[in-house]
Amino acid sequence: MDPRGSIAELGRRMGAVVGPDHCFTAAADLLTYECDGLTHGRTRPDLVVLPGSTEEVAEVVRLARAAGRPIVPRGSGTGLSGGARPVPGSVVVGLSRMRRILEVNLRDGWMRVEPGVINLDVTRAVSGAGFYYAPDPSSQSICSIGGNVAENSGGAHCLKYGFTVNHVLGARVVIENGTVVDLGGPAPDAPGLDLLAVLVGSEGLLGIVTEVTLRLLRRPEATRTFFATFPSTDEAGEAVSQIIAAGIVPAAIEMMDRLAIVAAKAATGLDWPDVGAALLMDADGPLAEVEHTSERAVDIARRAGALEVRLPRSEAERQLMWKGRKSAFAAVGRISPNYLVEDGVIPRSDIAPVLREIEAMAKDHGLRVANVFHAGDGNLHPLVLYDARESGQEHKAEHLGGEILRMCVRYGGSITGEHGVGAEKAAYMREMFSEDDLETMRFVCTAFDPDGSFNPGKVFPATRLCGERLEREGPHPAEQAGLIERW
Amino acid sequence: MAERPGKDSDAILGVIPRLVFEPESLEEAEDAVARCARDRLTLGFIGGGTELGMGAAPSDLDAVLRTSRLDRVLEHAPADQIVTVEAGATLAALQAVLAPHHQWLGLDPPWPERATLGGILSTNAFGPRRARYGSARDLILGVSIVRADGTPAKAGGKVVKNVAGFDVARLLVGALGTLGLVATATFRLHPVPEAAATVLFPALDSAGVSSLAEACRAAQLEPTSLAAIADSDRFDLGVRFEGFAPGVAKQAERLLDLGRRERAAGERLGEPEARAFWGRHEAVREMGPLRAKVSAPPSGFPSVARTALTRLLGELSPAGAVFYPSLGLGYVAGRPSAVAAVAAATAEAREALAPLGGSLVVCEAPHDLRAAVDVWGAPPPAFALMERLKGRLDPDRRLNRGRFVGGI
Repeated sequence: MDPRGSIAELGRRMGAVVGPDHCFTAAADLLTYECDGLTHGRTRPDLVVLPGSTEEVAEVVRLARAAGRPIVPRGSGTGLSGGARPVPGSVVVGLSRMRRILEVNLRDGWMRVEPGVINLDVTRAVSGAGFYYAPDPSSQSICSIGGNVAENSGGAHCLKYGFTVNHVLGARVVIENGTVVDLGGPAPDAPGLDLLAVLVGSEGLLGIVTEVTLRLLRRPEATRTFFATFPSTDEAGEAVSQIIAAGIVPAAIEMMDRLAIVAAKAATGLDWPDVGAALLMDADGPLAEVEHTSERAVDIARRAGALEVRLPRSEAERQLMWKGRKSAFAAVGRISPNYLVEDGVIPRSDIAPVLREIEAMAKDHGLRVANVFHAGDGNLHPLVLYDARESGQEHKAEHLGGEILRMCVRYGGSITGEHGVGAEKAAYMREMFSEDDLETMRFVCTAFDPDGSFNPGKVFPATRLCGERLEREGPHPAEQAGLIERW
Repeated sequence: MAERPGKDSDAILGVIPRLVFEPESLEEAEDAVARCARDRLTLGFIGGGTELGMGAAPSDLDAVLRTSRLDRVLEHAPADQIVTVEAGATLAALQAVLAPHHQWLGLDPPWPERATLGGILSTNAFGPRRARYGSARDLILGVSIVRADGTPAKAGGKVVKNVAGFDVARLLVGALGTLGLVATATFRLHPVPEAAATVLFPALDSAGVSSLAEACRAAQLEPTSLAAIADSDRFDLGVRFEGFAPGVAKQAERLLDLGRRERAAGERLGEPEARAFWGRHEAVREMGPLRAKVSAPPSGFPSVARTALTRLLGELSPAGAVFYPSLGLGYVAGRPSAVAAVAAATAEAREALAPLGGSLVVCEAPHDLRAAVDVWGAPPPAFALMERLKGRLDPDRRLNRGRFVGGI
C-alpha cells in the first residue's frame, strides 16, 4: 500500500474539484503527459488534473500536497529541457483549460491573461489596434504564456526587446499551501522585494501561476529585413561584430551554417544558395532611423565579405525568409533521422572560434552538427544529427551535446539561453555554479516551497545540500532518468 | 583590513555604527561580513550615500560596510557590450571608462558623480532614459554577492542571454541591501547615440502631458526620455530623441507636427537650452529635504496630479515635481511647511493612488516628518512571502535591520 494513499481516492477528490472529465488516472490518458518537447526522457505521472480557475488550482495544490505527491505544472508541453517531465508518483497540473484573456488596457499597454493562453494569441488579440507582445519563441504559435513565464522565454527579437521577465508586469501565483499571492501589477516599482523577478524563469519550482499581466508594445513604424550569404561562418560572424560595433541595435540577427541552410531549403523550397553561412537581420523602429540603420548594416555585411544580399520586396517575401529561419530546427529532420537541439550561450565575439571547435568536436564524435542561432546575443542552437538505429549513436550525440555546453561555460557563457535547465541540464548546473551559488538559489526556492512540492528534480542537480528531498523521495529523478550518471 | 570606529559621517539616518569597515578587496569584504556574522553584529551598507534617506532608520546598527574602495572596473568587453564592475564604483567613473568605446550603461539616475553601482542597484535608482533602456532590473546580467553569513555567491552570468538558475541578480534590485552585499555586478551596455534632440512643450496641464505622450506612442515615435517638470499645476514637457542623426531629426519634426494638431506649441531646443532643461530636471530630482516617489499606471496620472499631488506640492515651498508620463512614475520634492499638513497630504495621495494599484514612497524626509509618516506605506499583499525570503537569506535579520518595507 502506498503510504501516500490510493491514487484512485486522490483522483476522486481532484475530480470533485475540477470535474471528473478533467482528471485522469488511466494509463492511456496519462500517455500524452509522459514528456514535453524533450521526448527522449519519459516518466508516467500517477495523475493528471486540469483545473479551470485559480480557486481550483489552489484546491488541487492543497490536495496533492496533503497526499504527499510531487506537483508538476504544465503549459502546452512544448518545452525543450524536460521542465514539464513528470517524476514518479507525481500529479501533473495542466493549465491548458485556463486560456481566457481577462482584461486588455491599451492605454496603459497591458493585458491580463490566464496561463494557458497561447503566446501568439496575445499579439493576435491586439494587433488590429497596432500593439504586440514582444517575446517570440520559435514555438510561439503553440506555447503558452504560463510556460513562457516558467522558462523566461526569449526568441529571435529579444536582442533588442528583452525576455519574458522584461515584459511581465504582474502575476497571480498559487504557492505550496494553496495560498494565492499577487505580485506586481500595472503600476511600476511596487514597494517591497521583487519576487516577480525571481518567479519568472523559476521553471515551475516556486508555485503555479494562474494569471499574468503582460506588457504590450506599440508596433514599430517600420521593419527592414535583409538576408545575406557568406562563404563561411567566419565572415558572417565578422559582419555581426561590425554591425554591433557600428552602434546598431538590430531587432534580430540570426545565423545559419551550411547544414542548416540545406535543411531549411529542403523543408521550405526556398531558393537559398548553397553557401557556408547566412545571416537574417531585422531592424525596426521609426522609419527614418530604420532606413538609415538597415542601409548601414547591409553596407557592413558587404564589406565583411557577403556573397549576396537579398532584400525582401514584399511583406510576404519577408515572412518567407523568416519561415526559412524558424523552420530550420524541424527541417533538420529532413537530413537526419534524429537530432538533439542544444541551447548554449557564448560571448558573441567568440562566435568564429566556437564554431570551429564545435566542428572539430563533431568530427571527433563522427557526427554532424547544424548550427542555427541568435548571433546577436551569442545564443547557439547546435543541432546534433544522429541515427538512433545505429547502436551507440544516441549516446555519442548526447555526449557531444554535453561537450558543447561545457565549452560554452569555458568561454564565459551559459548552459542555456532560453530553453531552461529543466530535467535535462540540472546535471550541468555545477559546470556554471558553485555549491554556494546553488545554495543561494535553493534558499529562494525553499522560501516559496519549503518541502520541495513543486517540480522536484528540475534546475538543481542531485544535491548534497538539500538532503531532505532525497531522503523523502528516494532517488533523485535526475538519477532515475540517468542524467547524472551519464558521463 | 581598514576597520575603524564609526563617526557622525558614517551614520545612517542619524544612527551611528560602532564599527566601520572599508574593504579594499572582495576578500576583505567577505571577511568583514563573516566577522559580523560570527559576532552577530547588525550591518548596514553605504555606497555613495546619495539615497541613504531611502527607507526607515535602522532599528539597530552595530557596523557599517562602506563600498567606496571597491571601485574597480573588472572587465569591459566592448565587442560583447558587457561590463563587470565592483559595487563601489561610481556611475560617472564607469561611464568615463566606457566612453572611449562609444558605449554607456543606460542608467541616468541623479548624482552620477557620487552614486555607486551597488547603491543604484539596491535602490533601483533610475533617470529619464528608463523610457528607452529600462531600469537596472532590465540591464543587470549577473551579480556576485556576499551573503549574510559571509559566504560569497554569484548568480546570472556575463552574457546577455542566460536562463540558467534562479534570477537572484534581479531579486537584489531594489532590495535595499537586505538580502546580502552586492559585491560586483555585470551589466549589458548600449552604444552611445550619435545624435540627440529635445523638444519642449511648455506650460501644459496634466491632461495635456498625458495626451501628448499617448499621441507620441500612437504615432510610433520612440523617444528615449519623456519628462514633465512642474512647480505648480503647469508642466513643461521635454521629449528627447536619441539615435542616428536622420532618425532623430525626423522624429523631432514629426513630434512638433503632432503638437500642433494637439494644439500644444512646442519647439526644438538648441543644445544649451536642452542642457538647461535636463539640468532643471536633475535639480528637481535632487531636491530635498522631502522627496517622494509616486507610481501609478500612466492613464491615472492626470487625475492624481490634479488632486492629490497638487495638494502635496502646495504644502512644500520651494517645491518641484517631475513626472515620466510613459513610465507612470514621478517625484515630488521640496521643503515642508508644517509636518502635520504634509503628513495629511501624503496620506491623501496614497488614498488616491491605492485604487489605481499605485504607491507613494517617501525617499527622503526630515526627521520630524518621519515620525508622522510611514515612508513605505502599507505592506504589499505578498509581504508574508517577502519575509520568508528574508528569513532564508538573512535568518538573524542583521542586514540593514528595520530599514525596508514592513520592517524587513
